[in-house]
Amino acid sequence: MFDKLSENNEERNSLQIMAKNLNTVFMISTMDNEYIIKIIQGLVSEVKIGPFVMPSYEFKLTASKDEWNKFLKVIPIPGSHDLIALLRRKVLKIDGNLYPLMSHLLYFKLLLASLRPTEES
Amino acid sequence: MKIKMEPITGHYGNFDIDGINHRIYWEEAGEGIPLVCLHTAGSDGRQYRALLNDKKILKNFRVIVYDMPWHGKSSPPQGSKVGHYQLSTKSYVSQILSFIDGLELIKPVVMGCSIGGRVILHLASDHKEKFRALIGLQSAGHLDPYYDIDWLHRQDVHGGEICGAIAYGLMAPTSPKEERFETMWHYMQGGPGIFKGDLFFYKFDGDIGDKVKQIDNSTCPIYLLTGEYDYSATPEETKILADNIGVDMVKMKNVGHFPMSENPKEFLKYLYPILNKII
Repeated sequence: MFDKLSENNEERNSLQIMAKNLNTVFMISTMDNEYIIKIIQGLVSEVKIGPFVMPSYEFKLTASKDEWNKFLKVIPIPGSHDLIALLRRKVLKIDGNLYPLMSHLLYFKLLLASLRPTEES
Repeated sequence: MKIKMEPITGHYGNFDIDGINHRIYWEEAGEGIPLVCLHTAGSDGRQYRALLNDKKILKNFRVIVYDMPWHGKSSPPQGSKVGHYQLSTKSYVSQILSFIDGLELIKPVVMGCSIGGRVILHLASDHKEKFRALIGLQSAGHLDPYYDIDWLHRQDVHGGEICGAIAYGLMAPTSPKEERFETMWHYMQGGPGIFKGDLFFYKFDGDIGDKVKQIDNSTCPIYLLTGEYDYSATPEETKILADNIGVDMVKMKNVGHFPMSENPKEFLKYLYPILNKII
């Protein structure tokens, strides 16, 4: 699911300009799986797939696989179209040091949205 | 090269609001029934650019959009300090009434979105005799906080970036990219702490509470429209409000929290029938 973030993608690479000073490691949990994503200077440099024994990361986004699947639709339904929309419905939990996320919120929203298939595909 | 001129004119005026002089900027176009439009928290009057250019509406309505104090081209009142802005129900209602009185508008229609959609409820409750009709976009009587709004004003987080990011998510993914970008850009241009200061009204002070029961729409009709992609003032929240007042509400497809700005073409399909009823 989120391992594709490490694949070379023009749209994703273009986001670097929004986060050139961002270096962080964060976790996405689908409840039945975990991903650790490393970002160096605004580019995804590595994605590790769990399970992990002693994971180290700055912040974590947790939602069910079903909710992430709805979020990643070409055109998500209302309430599934944005990270804060998931938060509003209390189906997403965000914890840890939120500074890297909140200081680059649009970047993270667009980074995850870059996994949505295009309408043509 | 010939440019395409728009019919909008911009004006500055000095208004007495609660005994303090405020330099306010507004734009207007059209002739007829005054239609005063209220922008959302942390943005400005540019959100209504499509209405101000819509020939059909301008035939029957004088569309007037002002920037709230501290927003857009309107100045903060004299003696203001950064970080102290907080919109209260009293000050919001006062500024609207002062603006309308200042322009000597007789029985205008007022249409507001989000915080504007909330304040029309206070206008309906306390000042209904002054208005021909009230239109609430993305109206909800009450909103429980669902994210920490302190992030909107921190010296270590760029205010334009975070406010834009919050606004971006409130729009429908189906709205045109260019309009979504412009809507977000307005948020990116707000002053430090202004979006957060407006949300004090939206999330706390402006809660309509039991006052909703005082609203009598028999002499001043109320119309409520809400975009389906809005997760702030959801269609469900507007439905509760509409039931409490005893009016219908319309759920707008393919739009979010900023219908007039993020997808004007879609929004106008819903607005025309309401304006036709008001004429």
